[in-house]
Amino acid sequence: MGSLSLRALGSVSLLRRALSDGGFSGGPGGHFQTDSTAWGILALKAYGGSEGLLDRSLRLLMREQLEDGRLCVNKSHPASYWPTSLAILAWQDSEVCRDAQQRAVRFLLGTTGFHFPRESDAPSPHDSLLKGWPWVGETHSWVEPTAMAMMALRVTGHGHHDRVKEAIRMVLDRQLPHGGWNYGNTHVFGKELHPMPESTGAALIGLAGMVEERTVARSLEYLEDEVGRLRTPISLGWSLLGLAAWGRRPSSATALVERCLANQDRYGEYETSALCLLILGALAAENDKSVPFLSISMYHDKRLSFSR
Amino acid sequence: MDTQANHRATEGLTRRDILKAVAAGLVIGTGLLVVPKRYFRLPQQAQTFVAKVDHYQLDIAGILSLGMQELGVTKAEIQGKRILLKPNLVETASEAPHINTHPLVLRGAIEAFLRLGAATVMVAEGPGHRRDTLAVYEESGLADVLTEDRIKFHDLNYITGYELPNVGAKTTMKTLTFPTLFQDVDWIVSMAKMKTHHWTGATLSMKNLFGVMPGRYYGWPKNVLHKAGIQNSILDINATLKPHFAIVDGIIGMEGDGPIMGDPKQAGVLVMGRNLPAVDATCCRIMGIDPYKVSYLEQADNWLGPIGEKSIEQRGETIVSVQTDFRLIDTIPAQQGIRLA
Repeated sequence: MGSLSLRALGSVSLLRRALSDGGFSGGPGGHFQTDSTAWGILALKAYGGSEGLLDRSLRLLMREQLEDGRLCVNKSHPASYWPTSLAILAWQDSEVCRDAQQRAVRFLLGTTGFHFPRESDAPSPHDSLLKGWPWVGETHSWVEPTAMAMMALRVTGHGHHDRVKEAIRMVLDRQLPHGGWNYGNTHVFGKELHPMPESTGAALIGLAGMVEERTVARSLEYLEDEVGRLRTPISLGWSLLGLAAWGRRPSSATALVERCLANQDRYGEYETSALCLLILGALAAENDKSVPFLSISMYHDKRLSFSR
Repeated sequence: MDTQANHRATEGLTRRDILKAVAAGLVIGTGLLVVPKRYFRLPQQAQTFVAKVDHYQLDIAGILSLGMQELGVTKAEIQGKRILLKPNLVETASEAPHINTHPLVLRGAIEAFLRLGAATVMVAEGPGHRRDTLAVYEESGLADVLTEDRIKFHDLNYITGYELPNVGAKTTMKTLTFPTLFQDVDWIVSMAKMKTHHWTGATLSMKNLFGVMPGRYYGWPKNVLHKAGIQNSILDINATLKPHFAIVDGIIGMEGDGPIMGDPKQAGVLVMGRNLPAVDATCCRIMGIDPYKVSYLEQADNWLGPIGEKSIEQRGETIVSVQTDFRLIDTIPAQQGIRLA
């Protein structure tokens, strides 16, 4: 399957989730969702979708923004602000959204999760004082929301901000000794936990261009070993994106994406964010330069190199 | 939605309760109606059913049907109902199939409910660690079974939620957000795995309900609940959701450092019942754990259901005939001192 087929796939499958007033639902026939809309915009931008739909979606996403800059799963759950990073990425290079994007960036820079000094007998060994970002307000920093915030801040020119530097330390602190990341615990009561492809892919994008490759070599190795076994869109999409951020493109990527798409017969139609991730992962694996947040990696830009 | 209260345990006043009530009435002078019912700790009764099941290739649907019959679950009660089965899908590892509820136990439950005339049976889960629910669904082997049986699987992590006031009020959470899917079902069945747990001592049908809380609102892991307090969150979720039935897969459970890194433990049982604290207390006794030493069960006692051995009418096998100690780790605080004397 080439880029043209993927664009066709994007326009057929994704447009079925587009809502008349702009935005995207979580699935065909569903209701508006903030995160689905941000992912939809990222996919539309990557495959060159309708300008009219893109404009309506961007504006609708702006209307969802709260006064302090955050975007939430929905407005009645203001603590669920993890879609803020996604919105920043979706608004990138859209002039009409510049103010909204800056407010969202200010929110991220001014927000941390719940952090506490690690006690000597703590069951988890990670440095619980290192600040990244949580999924939901007042909870601990975890790998994926932190990686997403790093992408959002770096793409908007804040790659040298202290918060990003601390987030790099945090993400590296949560890397599993045998390679890869999970949601964010390396050990509990002395046992090393299992890595997960989706967390590993996201972390690798957040770190690409910011750390030496040897620092994440085991994680890249883990993901390259794992990718051929993946059948589901969230794992496969993040894995292809994470590997592409480090200039690695599995030769089997096209076949894997095709198999994953065919699996909708088995699982039902994919949720919108999962579908968008798969589209973006497929484009990244083809070295398509249109995947918005991969531009941040600059493929090992030495200017952004950072020592732990 | 039908409520657990409709089927819950029968209740009755003991002499001590009456004396307490009279004393309270004298003090407050306004009668008993304004005092919360659970204040009196009324003794409750419940029934659980234990079946010996040596391996997963046996007739699990038949065994579960027998158990339901013993527990008074009738065709008249299930006919036309929409049944949601909530398994325990956590993570997958090729060498550790004992992490998750076995797919063949799910298949057996589906068949048992359909035999009783259920209108639909669906399976739904929102894992706390993995954002890729479909990956766990696939790698656990459940996708093969449900695809073959044409049963719909729902990923609860990404479903839009609806709020309910927090009935339990054990945590400071004012409301709880459940998947909107639950507004369209009649029965919620917790289908747990029999495991030790490094934060709570044991994870059974009550703790399994963490997985119904959508990750969109609670994060991965469901850290909102951890921060609010795991034990109290378990109570709040159960008190508010009021699940209808529980089936615990103890054919091969997990001992030691559960719920993920522990070792397989053959207990060779399926345990079921309408009242979740009673089912979990029975499981604990089978595992050689004192349910009164498991904080959330001790708190649930005679509020959400009974956990005392004398308050639980045991159908099927006796506990003593299937009891097998699950290994506990003495360096894990939640597992210290919980062994049944």
